[in-house]
Amino acid sequence: MTLEEIKHLHWRAGFGIQEEVLSNKSFNKKQVIDALFDDSASALALNVDVSYLDGINLSDIKTNPSLAKKLREKNRKKALDINIAWMERMTYSKDTLRERMTLFWANHFVCQDKNPKHILQYNNTLRSHALGDFRTFIKAISKEAAMLKYLNGKQNRKRKPNENFARELMELFTLGEGFYTELDIKESARAFTGYNHNFEGSFVFMKLQHDYGFKTFLNRTGRFNGEDIIDIILENKQCARFISDKIYRYFVNPKPNITHIEAMTEVFYKDYNIEELMRFVFTSDWFYFKENIGAKIKSPIELLVGMTKTVPFKFERKKDVAGIQKLLGQMLLKPPNVAGWKGDKAWIDASTIMIRLRLPSMLLNNAVIPVDEYGAFNERFKSRFFKKNNGKLPFKILPDWDMFLKNFQSVKTIDLADIIIQGKFSKGTKAFLDTLKKASKRDYCVQLMSLPEYQMC
Amino acid sequence: MCAVNVFARISNVLNMERRKFLKNSALASSLLLVPNFVKALETQPLNTLGYKRLVIIQLSGGNDGLNTIIPHNNEIYYNARPRLAITQNIIKLNDDLGFHPSMAPLRALFDNGEMSIINNVGYPNPVRSHFRSMDIWQTASHANEYLQSGWLGRYLDEHGNQPYNAIEIDNQLSLAMKGEHFNGIATNNHNVLYKTSKNPFFKGLSDHFDDKHLSEHNLGYLYRTMIDARSSAKYIYENTKVSLSQQEYPQNAFAKQLKNVAQFINSGLETKVFYTALSGFDTHANQLNTQKRLLTQYSDSISAFVKDLKRNNTFKDTLILTFSEFGRRVKQNAANGTDHGAANNIFVIGKKLKKAGFYNKLASLSDLDDNGDIKYEVDFRAVYKTILNNWMNVSSEGIIMSKHNSLDFI
Repeated sequence: MTLEEIKHLHWRAGFGIQEEVLSNKSFNKKQVIDALFDDSASALALNVDVSYLDGINLSDIKTNPSLAKKLREKNRKKALDINIAWMERMTYSKDTLRERMTLFWANHFVCQDKNPKHILQYNNTLRSHALGDFRTFIKAISKEAAMLKYLNGKQNRKRKPNENFARELMELFTLGEGFYTELDIKESARAFTGYNHNFEGSFVFMKLQHDYGFKTFLNRTGRFNGEDIIDIILENKQCARFISDKIYRYFVNPKPNITHIEAMTEVFYKDYNIEELMRFVFTSDWFYFKENIGAKIKSPIELLVGMTKTVPFKFERKKDVAGIQKLLGQMLLKPPNVAGWKGDKAWIDASTIMIRLRLPSMLLNNAVIPVDEYGAFNERFKSRFFKKNNGKLPFKILPDWDMFLKNFQSVKTIDLADIIIQGKFSKGTKAFLDTLKKASKRDYCVQLMSLPEYQMC
Repeated sequence: MCAVNVFARISNVLNMERRKFLKNSALASSLLLVPNFVKALETQPLNTLGYKRLVIIQLSGGNDGLNTIIPHNNEIYYNARPRLAITQNIIKLNDDLGFHPSMAPLRALFDNGEMSIINNVGYPNPVRSHFRSMDIWQTASHANEYLQSGWLGRYLDEHGNQPYNAIEIDNQLSLAMKGEHFNGIATNNHNVLYKTSKNPFFKGLSDHFDDKHLSEHNLGYLYRTMIDARSSAKYIYENTKVSLSQQEYPQNAFAKQLKNVAQFINSGLETKVFYTALSGFDTHANQLNTQKRLLTQYSDSISAFVKDLKRNNTFKDTLILTFSEFGRRVKQNAANGTDHGAANNIFVIGKKLKKAGFYNKLASLSDLDDNGDIKYEVDFRAVYKTILNNWMNVSSEGIIMSKHNSLDFI
């Protein structure tokens, strides 16, 4: 594998370059990919202390408004803790592939909740099935407390079915629009009636609310329950194709390639094994084609985690994590709707592009992007900037430049671009970079990260 | 300054003459006969009276139109919603229909003939998915057609020349505002946008930019967006007057959006389209409180916005369109909410309405579609077409792809 290829793999299967890429341990393709899967072999649950909810039950909350209020506040804070713990997990854990898959699935089985215990449980369900069996995965999702709330599954009762989950199950989770009818939605909603959960977040099946009658679904008739419905959906190859298409656009190239997606569909349809599918993608020659390298616009989370991996930094104030995510348009655990973030070009508009380009200097360099050419102007800009902001940066950050210099010891400053940037430079920018002095590795790093090219991976 | 005004006035007169001429002409559909210099004048900045603006308000999530404009004399309504029908304090507008109690601030607009309510707006084969139906409304496509550009974006393709010609008060740009070649700009804080864009490093980048090889793919998109953002940020910052508004607005995010829009309009920005949104209308459960809160926010904010515009004499050149991606089912569900429906009402607010009040009657609640939803009578694209033709004074060709007759509400 070339350096470019190994970077490509790490940006797509993880969140950017790792130390071991720099230390050049093994560039043997099979070994590199095997290591990626070995490191993610088991799922380690994300842990945040939510024990304050232990022993509390629903009637406590209903009868004690001040307790309910206190809990709501505490829940909000905890949700932020989970967000931060998840960010740290993505940045520092060894099982980067599993974390990358978890983030992917979180934007596939999109869900939002207020109860930290249920949020955490849902997040860990995503994590534990991330590379597993898609059939088991989706059945688990259909029984998750957070999902039962988010898509009104718990309100889906024999007497009055609620179609919300049944509709999104097919439209967004398995088949995509156009492969089922409104009648299929109505009938499958009946099959999921009676699904509920208790306060702890465990699945509860309420027999009396379940409709045991005959249902006709995707041209089959039977006394189907929810699991039957999922099994019938998976029999349709369109499901394997729908997931393969989504994985291709996310992991390979936002522009779909029908031939490659069909090949993935064949692999996935056999037994819906997610790990096998991903192995097929990462070992395929086409994954490393030039047109796929640097073709993807980083999501805000990819951008933030990727930066942290190059120049380690920590937010001093918790709320800044949420603030930055919000500014960039992707707050973890708070998707815009059940379709999730659109991604790709939708991340970028006139306002987010400017925030993104300013972000590295804001976070790592006191808001200054070094420019020799405009040295004097830059000083003026700096003093004005600080005057306007009362001498304060909008965020409190501790960047660890010493660690950066240590990690990048073996890399010459002029070669920094080869490590930091994925894909091709635009012509004019190459000329612009030539005008820069590159005297300081740190300055040059900030400059490179402030380029539109750094937004690509 | 005089020159500009005279120029603008000539252009207005010419425009009026041209319109009259086109109306009377047998060749009305053809623009070929319009002398070139008239067209040239049209593209000049018309930063003066008569500059028509459109404000879009998107109620995201699917607003329940039946509990918004309430059929207070309809038994079917009350029977279908035993625990959800509004029974008290309805603001009756005629014998059949009335406002939700939270909409009192809009009563004056209705009475003054400044509001037109169009019932049963939708499209054939309605889609009940939020995202898909919202895309259909934003792109003006058929139910089974996928368009990559929005209707306002395509308007920009034809008639815009700067991103600031269409501003969305949000962090992200909606599909509606994205054209085939041209996008509007999204910002919820134009000062921050300007400060950011001014950085000298980006000046260096822009100065060196060579766009020959960067037309299509993603990196090219990033560069173009950056360069457009810099120039638009500068324009908006330099032309927005801060201290104009003496109007009090309610304290909520939606009101803040409208306050921003009023500031831009009253400053005379060359912005044809403003896009705002209020979300949270997806009331599958416990609808009453949620919708009450949202309709209160909507009505209070709109009322303040219109007052602000009137105070600055810009209301007569502003048209406000409110829509949602679909209505909700006539029958309530078990969770005291409603599921996704189909046709819905929309509101048009403005000074020069041809047909104020109720544009049409509410469709029958006994003749519903197979899902138990209201059938559409007015295609939403006919509404768009009417706005483009009669308000923006442009042809809807190339912007609205499907064929519809214009309506006569403006």
